[in-house]
Amino acid sequence: MAELVIRPLTRIYGNAALRVESEEGATPRARFSAFGYRGFELMARGAHVDNLVPMVSRICGPDSLFHQAAACMAAEEALGVQVPPAARTLRELALWAQLFERHAVSLAVHSLPDLLFPASDPGLRNLVSIYRVDEEVVRRLLSLKSLVGGRQVHGFNFRPGGAVRDLRPESRESLAERLRSGEALLLETARLVKLLLRRSEERVRTAGSIDGSYMAMRHPRGMEIGEGEPALLVTGEEGGEPRPVVDLGSRLREEPSAHGHVVYASLEGAGELLVGPLARLNVNGSYGTPRADEELAEVKETWGFPVRYPMVAHALRMLEMIHAWEKMLALLSGPAEGPLGGGLSVGAGKARAYLEAPEGALVYGLELGEDGMVRDLSIISPLQFNLRSLERSLAEAYAATVREGVEKTADVLQMVVRAYAPCVPCGVH
Amino acid sequence: MEIALLSLSSCLGCQMVFLSLEEYLYELIGENKVVYAPFLMDRREWDHADLALVEGTVRNTEHFLRAREVREKADRVVALGTCASFGGVQGLADLYPESRLLRSRFGDTAFEGGPQGVKRLLPLDSFIRVDAYLPGCPPPVALMERFLRAAVAGDRLSREGSTVCAECGVTSPPLPQPGPRRLTDGAGEPGKCLLESGFVCLGPLTRDGCGALCPTEMGVPCRGCRGPAGRVLERAGVDMEAETVRRLSRATGKKEGEIRAEVADPPRTYYLFCLAEPLLRRRRSGGTSHYIHRLGEQ
Repeated sequence: MAELVIRPLTRIYGNAALRVESEEGATPRARFSAFGYRGFELMARGAHVDNLVPMVSRICGPDSLFHQAAACMAAEEALGVQVPPAARTLRELALWAQLFERHAVSLAVHSLPDLLFPASDPGLRNLVSIYRVDEEVVRRLLSLKSLVGGRQVHGFNFRPGGAVRDLRPESRESLAERLRSGEALLLETARLVKLLLRRSEERVRTAGSIDGSYMAMRHPRGMEIGEGEPALLVTGEEGGEPRPVVDLGSRLREEPSAHGHVVYASLEGAGELLVGPLARLNVNGSYGTPRADEELAEVKETWGFPVRYPMVAHALRMLEMIHAWEKMLALLSGPAEGPLGGGLSVGAGKARAYLEAPEGALVYGLELGEDGMVRDLSIISPLQFNLRSLERSLAEAYAATVREGVEKTADVLQMVVRAYAPCVPCGVH
Repeated sequence: MEIALLSLSSCLGCQMVFLSLEEYLYELIGENKVVYAPFLMDRREWDHADLALVEGTVRNTEHFLRAREVREKADRVVALGTCASFGGVQGLADLYPESRLLRSRFGDTAFEGGPQGVKRLLPLDSFIRVDAYLPGCPPPVALMERFLRAAVAGDRLSREGSTVCAECGVTSPPLPQPGPRRLTDGAGEPGKCLLESGFVCLGPLTRDGCGALCPTEMGVPCRGCRGPAGRVLERAGVDMEAETVRRLSRATGKKEGEIRAEVADPPRTYYLFCLAEPLLRRRRSGGTSHYIHRLGEQ
């Protein structure tokens, strides 16, 4: 039996390892493993609902606002509270900003060095090494992240029932100005990513494919974060239309894995699931904003639709950044006035919240007691849904690459992992 | 200078701040050599660093071995962030035995070759010697830059060290105020001291350096994310819960017993970021020792 172990995986979010085992004539078996479960679900039991939001924010720095928002949405649903429009707008603005920043880091820090310099030593494919030979490239890549700069990592303005304080008019204007100044850079980078993927076409087509169902929030307007309804698109099904996910709560399943603390999550009857940028595009068909959809046309033409190749997610992240950019500018130009929500009357309730985090479905199940204390909390993160697809893509990529030697195979497998941009801290919450 | 940057069990928030250093990041990576940073680069082996920045807590033997390796290879080790410095929010896990924590999630699953969990959740300096601390959840960008500039020059950041209140630009409301209050009861009046407005705010007990952004700019009471101020750690009589209750009693005109009775969930309210800090839980009265008693520890 041949075995390939990569420990630790690098240029990803968090600490994880990969093991692939293969026997002559058999399908290789890939195992993505991460240990270090932190116990947020148990730690939250007995917490006052007011303490829940700052707690779950610390599950993940890059996705902190999504955890805050999911906890707030679940609490609001459990308590039957309506969030005022002005507070919804503020939340949405913050979430698009974090999605933008998260994707910018996934691309600039983790993935683009591979696409820019595929033939170079993997040890040199990083921002630090590139900076030594070409400062401008690194500055341009990281300046994407800075477009929404100034935001605190665990910035805190969400509270169950609404938001705490509005943005100052000068902050709105300065963010809008900063965003507008990045337009050319954003579009140029999107075109560059699409070009780089075309240049690596054979690799993209052999580095795994999706053969299950795509789950994402569907909305008539296009890609949304918290609005719409969860929908499922089953690959290979006649008709190929997404359909609403009925009884989401009762169909969610979790199954511990023997090789790590990331628990597999699935939806009963849906087969192997994929959530995240590919799923969002495949379920919605378009983004619903003009610039993003303009850039999307070429992606569909090159890679087909529904998009089946995980590595195309790099381009889709870029398109989602354009979409987020357009959404943020629209939100900043709209009226911001209005109440942000008053006090809550805490009491018993039970609810589930579904949110599109940067890498896909984030599901919170929350039960509150009469006293407003958390009785039960369950969290399912995008990596949990994607783990089986990721492992299958890795096995496929291994089989397609193994003849090129151990070093090349290990290099390609890490590229596949980065295509999924898995969030280990969310996975081992 | 050779620099290493790595995480143990963490949320990666501190490393996101590192990436937000903008101009100083370019200066840092341009003038120094980053020898190990798995979040940023592929290198898996390293022999030596002059400065190692370690984010997160030790949750299992794998983290412990990594922390020990860092101590052996680095001349100076920095506990980066509140998790490494005081245990952080993850320190709440210390309310439960590790075995219960794992059983609640994984049942009786047997793991193939996984690391063993540690029995207690403790800050980094309980496992290895630490030379400097940069707490904050995460540390503010400007503070991280000042800290790193000093560290790269071979110095420590020289700070007077006060509390969040010293940086908070608010005024006092007339007393008494309704309370104790939380954000779920509604927001406070802009520009007014949240603690004196009856909110549970840990500003007087939390170390400064954040610019008091939450209470001043956002209207959000301080949760203590920079960790306990020096005087809280140094003086046996100063306790997060007792001090806050005393101040809330003054603000609301209620007796301390009434305040205690009305503030539910004291561990996560007063010790959200520092429950695992041994200097606090060693106290005989107050501190986290009250909760640690439930685990059978004196």
